Amino acid sequence: MIVAERLRKTFPGRGKDKSPVIAVDEVGFTARDGEITGLLGPNGAGKTTTLRMLYTLMTPESGRVLVDGIDPAVDPNTVRRNLGVLPDARGVYKRLTARENIDYFGELHGMTATDIAARTARLAAALQMEDFLDRATEGFSQGQRTKTAIARALIHDPRNVILDEPTNGLDVMTTRGLRGFLKELREEGRCVIFSSHIMQEVAALCDRIVVIAHGRVVAQGTPDELREHAHESNLEDAFVKLIGSEEGLHA
Amino acid sequence: MNRTGFLGCMITVMRKELRDFARDRRTFLLTLLTAPLLYPLMFLGMSKLTSLRTENQLDKDLALPVVGMAQAPNLVAFLASRGINATEAPKDIEARIRAQKDDVALIIDPDFAEDWHAGKPAKVDVLADTTRRTSDVQVMRLKATLGEYSQSVGALRLLARGVDPKVAAPVNVGTRDLATAEAKRGIFLSIVLPLVLMLSAFIGGSHLAMDTTAGERERQSLEPLLATPAARGALVSGKMLAAVTVGLVSMLLILLSFKLSASMGTGAATSLDVSFAAMGKLLTILLPLVVIGTALLTCLAASAKSMKEAQSHIAWLMMLPMLPGYALMAYPLKDTQLWQYAVPFLSQNQMLVKVTRGEMPSATQWGVYLLASLGLALVLWGIAVWRYRQERLAISG
Repeated sequence: MIVAERLRKTFPGRGKDKSPVIAVDEVGFTARDGEITGLLGPNGAGKTTTLRMLYTLMTPESGRVLVDGIDPAVDPNTVRRNLGVLPDARGVYKRLTARENIDYFGELHGMTATDIAARTARLAAALQMEDFLDRATEGFSQGQRTKTAIARALIHDPRNVILDEPTNGLDVMTTRGLRGFLKELREEGRCVIFSSHIMQEVAALCDRIVVIAHGRVVAQGTPDELREHAHESNLEDAFVKLIGSEEGLHA
Repeated sequence: MNRTGFLGCMITVMRKELRDFARDRRTFLLTLLTAPLLYPLMFLGMSKLTSLRTENQLDKDLALPVVGMAQAPNLVAFLASRGINATEAPKDIEARIRAQKDDVALIIDPDFAEDWHAGKPAKVDVLADTTRRTSDVQVMRLKATLGEYSQSVGALRLLARGVDPKVAAPVNVGTRDLATAEAKRGIFLSIVLPLVLMLSAFIGGSHLAMDTTAGERERQSLEPLLATPAARGALVSGKMLAAVTVGLVSMLLILLSFKLSASMGTGAATSLDVSFAAMGKLLTILLPLVVIGTALLTCLAASAKSMKEAQSHIAWLMMLPMLPGYALMAYPLKDTQLWQYAVPFLSQNQMLVKVTRGEMPSATQWGVYLLASLGLALVLWGIAVWRYRQERLAISG
């Protein structure tokens, strides 16, 4: 379970006497185990910054994060061990094979070679990446790279999974496969958070939706609750009304 | 999940970086082999050229344009007996020397014959451009011959007046050179070799150090790496260890290639002390420098916004090892004061010079040197780890 409480993060403004940019302000939500929580918002709304605070890369200025009841500010390493993260930056080492990329992260998690091999086999089957597992990642397609990065992030079998725009740049078939994989993670009882700027995708997958715009949570709840909240029967209309623009309606 | 030790993580990172680097075949070979192949060629070539120039200019007959040849037929004859053939100088001799058409000329004063017969010092001028190094040897040769002529004529004149020429030489100045044989032959190497070794040690692992920090961030793989539970200190230490390994291996290859060229070469190259003991000492001296260079580059690369910015640091970094060499050329220092062994680059220079001269630095000098340089390496390593803990590092773009 991941809890965000009133997170706030500002960045120093560029240039002379620019006021600081407020990236995230008063963002709070709870992502439960066995559920998929979607962070929905247009580009630049503060989704990536929020996620970075959840996965310990950034320290919130105020507010706090709890991952399975542990505050990353107190014990970041335990939190990192319980998290599987697909960051916005998902570069793979192009001179290593997909398997070597995954092995590297497994070793950094302190896993034994046999554990890594067994877990890699399971992930490769679930992500349908067996046919390119032992090829050097140079020249991989976007989908193959993303799958490698996801397998690498989940090698240590984490209870909580955070994915930053996982379907970015993927074709329809790969996206469908990935959705199936996320549902499997939910069936296994994990807590899954993913961000997206595509309304249809969030609607299709998520148990709970957190709508973020201009660094603030403008609404959150189940898809039904959101429709009710915005007094719209159509989720798309509800979304437009909530963020106050038609931004991010289509991929 | 089982906990990972600091050391285990460090080794994992180092192994991965080295494997990644070794697969980049061309960069790998260029980094490791360029210097070991290039420097011996440079050395052999330079010493060959130097000896060629001296031989040519000392043994061959020198054609000397002389103004007013008729004034001093005896002098001309004396010069000819020393292989310097005087010819009547053209009118534009000064312009010809400026244009480097002639290297050196002699002007015999119009009053030369008159002064000569009166027993007054007769004047001759050597005409040369002293800033042109090509004329060095000829000018020296001409001056020495003129001095010889002047002395022998002077002695004869004293004898003719019944005076012992020894009376006019109250002091007999001699020089007894105490330089060791190695040092004497290795003057050239004492300047160039430390520089080459220091440069290679300092920035030999630079590519890897920058690539694993600035490059990794640019390729967007640093953020996932920093999200793992591996300690930041272990990550940066592993990366630095990989760069230090590469630096040391290239150092070792350079020393081996020197050993090889010394056994094949002639002239200055043979004067190198290339016993394995000396090479061990050189490696011990260079090890802290390799760590200092790697740590400094890691710090800079971690602060740089891009790989390009990190690489642009190389220009001024390359100047650092050269500074003490230039400073010592302008202001030579005795290598006895202890403080010199605590100053980065100067200390390496002094230690390397000592060892290549075939001397052994004293225990105190070793102690001060190792303490100061390893201390600096440790401080830079600390800064690099601190940089890796900052959240700004992880965010790419």
